[in-house]
Amino acid sequence: MDDQMNYKAVIIGGSAGSFQVVTKILSSLPKTFPIPVLLCLHRLKHVRSGFVEALSLKSNILIEEPYDKDQLKPGRAYLAPANYHMYIELANRVALSTEDVVNHSRPSIDLSFITAANAYREKLIGIILSGANKDGAYGLKKVHDCGGITIVQDPNECEVKTMTTSALQLTKADFVYNTDQIIRFLQKIN
Amino acid sequence: MTELGIVDIREIIRAIKSFYNYDFGNYALTSFKQRLERLIIRNNLTNAESLIKKLKDEPDFFDIFLHEISVPSTEMFRDPSLWRWLREDLLSTSVEKNIGKFKIWLPNCVSGSELFSLTILLSEMKLMDKVTIIASSVSNKSIEIIKEGQYDLKKIEVSTENYIRANGSGNFTDYYRLDRYYAFRDISLIHNVEFNKLNINFENAPTNVKLILFRNSLIYYNPTMQDRILSVLSNSLSASGNLITGIKERIAGVSSSKDFEIVNEAESVYKKRIIG
Repeated sequence: MDDQMNYKAVIIGGSAGSFQVVTKILSSLPKTFPIPVLLCLHRLKHVRSGFVEALSLKSNILIEEPYDKDQLKPGRAYLAPANYHMYIELANRVALSTEDVVNHSRPSIDLSFITAANAYREKLIGIILSGANKDGAYGLKKVHDCGGITIVQDPNECEVKTMTTSALQLTKADFVYNTDQIIRFLQKIN
Repeated sequence: MTELGIVDIREIIRAIKSFYNYDFGNYALTSFKQRLERLIIRNNLTNAESLIKKLKDEPDFFDIFLHEISVPSTEMFRDPSLWRWLREDLLSTSVEKNIGKFKIWLPNCVSGSELFSLTILLSEMKLMDKVTIIASSVSNKSIEIIKEGQYDLKKIEVSTENYIRANGSGNFTDYYRLDRYYAFRDISLIHNVEFNKLNINFENAPTNVKLILFRNSLIYYNPTMQDRILSVLSNSLSASGNLITGIKERIAGVSSSKDFEIVNEAESVYKKRIIG
């Protein structure tokens, strides 16, 4: 958690009950946040627009739904688009996919986390927030196994705790934090 | 879970090239890896070596490989707003102007969901006998599955919702029957469709095509292969013919994209430029 550590990206997974938390995190990050923020949040398949706009209301950093092969830039957040999986490839690029659902989900948090862990290894911060299924648990384990930092929102603070408790069953997370602590952690990255 | 490393993937690509002269070297890496891992599990294999051995010993397995490495469309009437636009705009005006000459090509059919969605739309518009549809696939197994009408039961619900959002004018239940493990689609919908098998580079593609439906396929290629395939598609299209890609695919990064101009940004519809 030292600010001298050279992180390359932070990835956040969430589902039911995570929207407010993500909004609060994004509103607390400075415009100059030095790395990309990857967001894989469960969402309705057929609703293509509105989510970025809602998240952007209070965010200081620019949020976009990437196109396939887009280059990730620091100080921006990338939201997995509706009905696509979002992979992170080497060389800081997004790859989208329409492969089958994983844990009933597309986008799947597991797939985003696994591919980001492969791309960034120990330079990744993985965060699992409130949610109603176990998607993300395996992905967070992968972040841990690759040497990255793992943070799980304190289940006691979660609106729905299935996702965080599933993650904690599979991985001994580096930190179990409430929203304010997650924010303080991220604000130290520079 | 089998996890393949870069070296494994390179070995598999090299083996396929030497056995069958198909080059998967320009497929997008992460999804290709994902597909290979899935294929290994589905075929009760254990690792790259066992996959290579099976590919070498069983030539018939290569066709199954080609089917399973391809990513099927996720559901019928994906992106209902596109289907509404096709119904209300493009097809309702263009087909009548080109009766008997309106050729539609689907270059990469895997499950047939795009094909059946299209034929349902055209038959509701009473345009089926005014168009020619060519459905291509890289695998005979895909064509077999499509012709049998087999469809994943799990996808019926979302497909039905999409059909309604796409302003389908009938009842979606009329287009399939349920079996124990599968839904079976009404294959009379595709009796006029011309099927053909292509290699992964789409050599011998059809010509004078008015509309190409090629959604969410370019994402599985790297830019080199995207460029090559886009140039094949461009050569297939007649002047002012339309190409439809997935809504999160960008063609702008490669040089053959100069052949196209955008006509509907929200639905990712392009038109072949008239060079003159």
